[in-house]
Amino acid sequence: MTGIRTRRSQSTSGQVDTGVSGVDASGIHRREWFKQGGGGLAAIALSDLLAREAVGEQHHRAKAKRVIQLFMTGGASPMDLFDYKPELERLHGQMLGPKDKPEGFTAPAGAIMKSPFAFSQHGDSGRWVSELFPEQAKLVDEMAFLMAMTTKTNVHGPGTYMMNSGFLLPGFPCLGAWVSYALGNLTDNLPTFVVLPDARGLPYNQQGCFSPGFLPAVHEGLVLNATSKVPIPDLYPDAKYSFAQGASDIEGQSLLRWLNEQYGDGKVGDSRLDARLAGYELAAKMQLSAPEAFDLGSETTQCHKDYGIDKPVTEDFGRRCLLARRLIERGVRFCQVWSGPQGATNNWDNHGNIQTELPPMTQSVDQPIAALLRDLKARGLDQDTLVIWTTEFGRTPFAQGSLGRDHNGGSFVTWLWGAGVKEGVSHGQSDDWGYQAIENKTWCYDLHATILHLLGIDHTRLVVRHNGIDRRLTDVHGHVIQEVLS
Amino acid sequence: MFLQHPMKPKIVNRSAVVAVLALMFGVISSIAMTQETPGAQGANEAAFFRESVLPILKSRCYSCHSHQSGQMEGGLALDWRSGWVQGGARGTAIVPNDSNGSLLIRAVEHSDSDLQMPEEKLPEGEIEILRKWIQEGAYDDRAVRPVVSDPLDWWSLRPLVAPAVPVLAANSVTRELAASTQGPINPIDAFLLERLQQEGLSFSPRATSRELVRRLYVDLHGVLPSPEQVASISENPSDQELEELVDRLLASPRYAERWARHWLDTIHFADSHGYEHDVGRENAWPFRDYVIDAFDRDIPWSEFIRQQLAVDVFAPEATELLPALGFLGAGTFDLSTYSTGPVTFDYMDRDDMLTQTMAAFVSTTANCARCHAHKFDPIPQEDYYALQAVFAGVIKGDISYDPLRETANRRAELGKLKQAVLARDPAGLDSELAQSLVAQWSREHRQIAAWKKLDSHSFISLEGATLTKQEEGVILAGGHSPDTDTYVVNGTVDLPSVTAIRLDLFPHESLPMKGPGRCQNGNLHLSEFVVQVFSPGAVEAKQLKIARVTADFNQVDWGIERAIDGDPKTAWGIHPAVGIAHHAVFVLEEPVEWSSGTELTVTLKQLHGGSHLLGAFRLSVTDAPEGDAVALPAEVETVMKLPLDERSEEQKRLLSFHFLQQAVDIEMKKLPAESKVYAVGTNVSIPTGNGARQQASIASPKPVHLLHRGEIGKPEQLVPPGALSVMSHAPGRFEDAVGGVESQRRASLADWIAHRDNVLTWRSVVNRVWHYHFGRGICDTPSDFGRMGGIPSHPELLDWLAVWFRDDAGGSLKKLHRLIVTSRAYRQQCLHNEQAQSKDADNRWLWRQNRLRLDADSFRDSILAISGRIDWRMGGPGGEHFTKQPGPQSTPKLDYAAFDWSRPEGNRRSIYRVVWRGIPDPMMAALDFPDLGLLSPVRGFTASPLQSLVLTNNPFVLHHCKLLEDRLSAGGKSISEQVRELFQLALQRDPTPGELEVLIPYAQRHGIAALGRVLVNTNEFLFIP
Repeated sequence: MTGIRTRRSQSTSGQVDTGVSGVDASGIHRREWFKQGGGGLAAIALSDLLAREAVGEQHHRAKAKRVIQLFMTGGASPMDLFDYKPELERLHGQMLGPKDKPEGFTAPAGAIMKSPFAFSQHGDSGRWVSELFPEQAKLVDEMAFLMAMTTKTNVHGPGTYMMNSGFLLPGFPCLGAWVSYALGNLTDNLPTFVVLPDARGLPYNQQGCFSPGFLPAVHEGLVLNATSKVPIPDLYPDAKYSFAQGASDIEGQSLLRWLNEQYGDGKVGDSRLDARLAGYELAAKMQLSAPEAFDLGSETTQCHKDYGIDKPVTEDFGRRCLLARRLIERGVRFCQVWSGPQGATNNWDNHGNIQTELPPMTQSVDQPIAALLRDLKARGLDQDTLVIWTTEFGRTPFAQGSLGRDHNGGSFVTWLWGAGVKEGVSHGQSDDWGYQAIENKTWCYDLHATILHLLGIDHTRLVVRHNGIDRRLTDVHGHVIQEVLS
Repeated sequence: MFLQHPMKPKIVNRSAVVAVLALMFGVISSIAMTQETPGAQGANEAAFFRESVLPILKSRCYSCHSHQSGQMEGGLALDWRSGWVQGGARGTAIVPNDSNGSLLIRAVEHSDSDLQMPEEKLPEGEIEILRKWIQEGAYDDRAVRPVVSDPLDWWSLRPLVAPAVPVLAANSVTRELAASTQGPINPIDAFLLERLQQEGLSFSPRATSRELVRRLYVDLHGVLPSPEQVASISENPSDQELEELVDRLLASPRYAERWARHWLDTIHFADSHGYEHDVGRENAWPFRDYVIDAFDRDIPWSEFIRQQLAVDVFAPEATELLPALGFLGAGTFDLSTYSTGPVTFDYMDRDDMLTQTMAAFVSTTANCARCHAHKFDPIPQEDYYALQAVFAGVIKGDISYDPLRETANRRAELGKLKQAVLARDPAGLDSELAQSLVAQWSREHRQIAAWKKLDSHSFISLEGATLTKQEEGVILAGGHSPDTDTYVVNGTVDLPSVTAIRLDLFPHESLPMKGPGRCQNGNLHLSEFVVQVFSPGAVEAKQLKIARVTADFNQVDWGIERAIDGDPKTAWGIHPAVGIAHHAVFVLEEPVEWSSGTELTVTLKQLHGGSHLLGAFRLSVTDAPEGDAVALPAEVETVMKLPLDERSEEQKRLLSFHFLQQAVDIEMKKLPAESKVYAVGTNVSIPTGNGARQQASIASPKPVHLLHRGEIGKPEQLVPPGALSVMSHAPGRFEDAVGGVESQRRASLADWIAHRDNVLTWRSVVNRVWHYHFGRGICDTPSDFGRMGGIPSHPELLDWLAVWFRDDAGGSLKKLHRLIVTSRAYRQQCLHNEQAQSKDADNRWLWRQNRLRLDADSFRDSILAISGRIDWRMGGPGGEHFTKQPGPQSTPKLDYAAFDWSRPEGNRRSIYRVVWRGIPDPMMAALDFPDLGLLSPVRGFTASPLQSLVLTNNPFVLHHCKLLEDRLSAGGKSISEQVRELFQLALQRDPTPGELEVLIPYAQRHGIAALGRVLVNTNEFLFIP
């Protein structure tokens, strides 16, 4: 393999595409090619079919090898968490917002509403953080803040799609799927891209947020049930099928290999047959290693305490953060941890009352997140792990009703931490109300370009042709945000 | 912008469009003529221009200001010198030696708020280069207008003419073909062999009978054949024997089920909305059944196109075909259209419809022209919005239809009559139907029933209102006025039997607005009217069924029938006719025999809230025949009381109208309930989750504007409905459809697509069919025939097939299948050949067959079939292979692992499976069942450890392996016999002695179910050579 698994164009006919599009026509687009499901697949490397890591993949030297993404479902309120706006205190109660209901708002804008929470400055960087994030506040000098994130929509579904796949529509591969596609796995023992949803339910768009879109199905985010003893679905046969247990299972694997080898004999030129053989070998490995990875019991009591697994309020998110650390440590490439399900409650979509709805959410994640970062650092994993905290959009500086905040794609906050991230910096600024991003506006394209960059991938060269378009995670946009890179 | 966009005329002259397109989309010739031979200075300037300036212009400006991009916004072209010298509407763009005075510099610096381009500001370094270039004289040697060639000069857009079938040089294969066929060689083979012979190659040997039968069953039916079906074909079948098999397979409904699945993939049909509110569509399935039926009946392709886009126009009488419109409802839909994001999702919804339509029927990516002209294909941005306008008059949701034409006709006739009656149009009384209904009614309702007051001895309010008896048996409510209430009245009467009960309401001075209700506006809402009878000696009450109910007056949408529908949320009301008396008559399904001591209990539930309660009322009963027990408006009652000969003509007409109105309603109710299908329409009901629905309607098509860069906030000129203006077979704009009814727009597009001379349509369909037969299309991007798509491996064959399919086969898919699967190319082996492999590793020339992997549906269906459990029943609502619970919002929580596979809904073919767009079935997904958020013209292939885990451990697989064992072990057969039968079922062959040696001991130790589990995981099971 030379270079990343991306080719600018396909040559499936044995003839060179004459490049009408001006696209480089020299390469063979392997991935797209075997998606066609046709016959002669001689040209496809087994590692491509299985999405295993090949050596020397990156476009440039990678600073990060693995990613943990923390996603706050519902639209975490910037002006109540990280984006301190004293101007809101001065204008509190005044009707200054848009007169007509903007597209995507659920109600007409109310009066300007100050944050009900106290802000103070933290760390050498002097970053303002509200009282809701006391633990993360202690770590702000290690984080890089994107203070002027912005998006194209004020609606959850498309907004969540956009932050995950770069498109407002369903059907596009998400960041984790692209990373899996581009880089393959780090271990044969565990899946490459895993998703740990809130125990109370899936986020908006359900599994659409973890979809491989038009990439091969192998790149789909595997949804794990963190509270189950067997978080990987179908890892073992259910005990009620007695014929599939123990020796039957083990001998069956050998028998299957023997039958498949016999069948493959003489069938040259079809790597799909071998790929399926290898699939069973890898599955057997995963069956052996996965239980250890998921066994949180082997962690110390102190560790459980640090992550807040001992307290009801932090138990679920804490468990999933600890699981994320264990999985990353054992070679999972991309791990997504969600806070909050879709819906009207138990998430960050605080329309009704910021003062009562937001604190339970912040309390559930603050300690676990801080514990995760400290733990990663203590184990040296910060050297090659990137952590991202984000959400699908921000909230209005205007009240909804009298106490809540409505959707606002105009400005929101994201932070980065870990490998390759410049510590204690921030990029971009919102206006005095936190309503619109005004300086160094940052789109999901820029965030995704930066994440790919840290993983050694040039986002403009990670391309797959689909239904007539050369598709990228960053569409036709995206700039690597140099200011947050170390 | 350099200038305001001039408003284009509403209807664009076609020849002008083509001329512009020719300029816009042709390939730029690479002539670079220099004006003069540059000296040393000039050489430097030229190099600076070529190396530094031109790349900036190309990457930053060409997409909107060049011939190649198809856009010269504001009239400005920056791809040749004269372009910027002449400039756009704002004048010269570049003034050599004066960068500050050049519009270009002002634009890129974003210094002028009216003139900021491109949208994303250039890096300082690039601006500096442009500034330097202009300052130094703006050297530009691009002296010639970029030359463009004919935009239609592309394989898929060229005229469709059938090439001559090649005449082959004689060799062993042609001799073999000639020997086996009576008539001429299959043209498919002629085209393929011609190409192979050029390379010194030929077809592989014929497949064995077993191979071919397995291939045909999986390809045409999507399920493995039974051992008997394989055995029924002889070892060396004659062509005739095989053709008969093919005909049998195509005649079977199994074929239609299999191929319907391909179409549903292509158009991303699923049983839920997708997006955030992934609500189920319980009425999506009639469209699926329509597709199966259309394939089964093999309707011509052009008809299939017309029906799916506008069957309501092309066959309005064929109401049973209305589910065809489910085509346009197949895709995703975001409920936010009706709440948070109305404008955005309106555009996105139409985008979904047009993307699907153009990809599925004409293999065109028209959606790429949303923000700017298509970068590669001749599709200007206006075409995209013209297609949006086609769908601007419909919305997605459930529409109603009558599967039987008689019902539809009757409903239409009665509906017309009702309109006439409501309008009191005397002509309405003249029709035969009206006269017969009036006559019938007059016979049945000769006189007014005599009513006896119920002798009520107890009457209570459950919420503590004070009920008092007044004169004439009237009960008056007073005192505390609760939000909701329920009255219970007990009484008896002296009659031999009771056939109906009458509720009278009276005005009263003590009530608001004089009543008869207790609400502030005098209204009331009767939610449910329940009648029970206690016979003497009975231990419990018996509830009496009410057959029919009438009232003298019904509030709009609050009719009296709502008081007996069993739904406490609906009720009868009388607003705005307050302050006067009303009555309702409840006819019992069966008369009640009355004897002394029989007691009647009437429960009056008033649950709407807001004190919509009965103020003054009375109950009476009658033993009159059913027909006479009816509530009549006061003026009708007056006339009824007159002897026949004393009624005036006007009074007679009044009676007739009243009778007719009642009769029409009754006749309407006799009709079977309308069926629903999730499709598009102008008046729809949208499932919004947890059983709730929302009504939506659209009066006339919404105006569609071209959006600058696709941004909703930047509308430009209005665009009329239309399609691709570059095509010459029919006008690109549907001028006749503007201003007419909405459906004419869809019909026009259907005509444009199904047109005999639409060169894309016919190429598209034959290639799609070819793709499924061989695993890859002649063009391997079946939904994209544009410049970013694949190049056909055999363009002449494709064109020949397209013409043959259109003209000779009359658009019959079954004829096309038959031609393809009886070809020698289809019937060859999948055999490795070193020489061929070295020349054509991809097998694009088809020197052998391709090995197909069972797709998710065929895998599942085959396992059901071999386990003996499959239920071949066709049609109807789909089966849910998950448990379903309410979710945090409208999307439910689905659990596939918790599904009990012994349930009957797990038995049926996969086409009858409920496909939830956003929550896929893990087993189907592991075998590459596509994400139906997007169009899926081809299925993928993956092999992964997770797939292996699913195929070995998924409860579906294990459950059916156990059934397989039960099936084989019945009858006390020996284990070796069972192993042999298992092999036959799964692989349709006998195990070899070597295999038996290994398999029998394994089966003896672990059972047939365990061996079955191994076999269905083998490559031999999953791959069909």
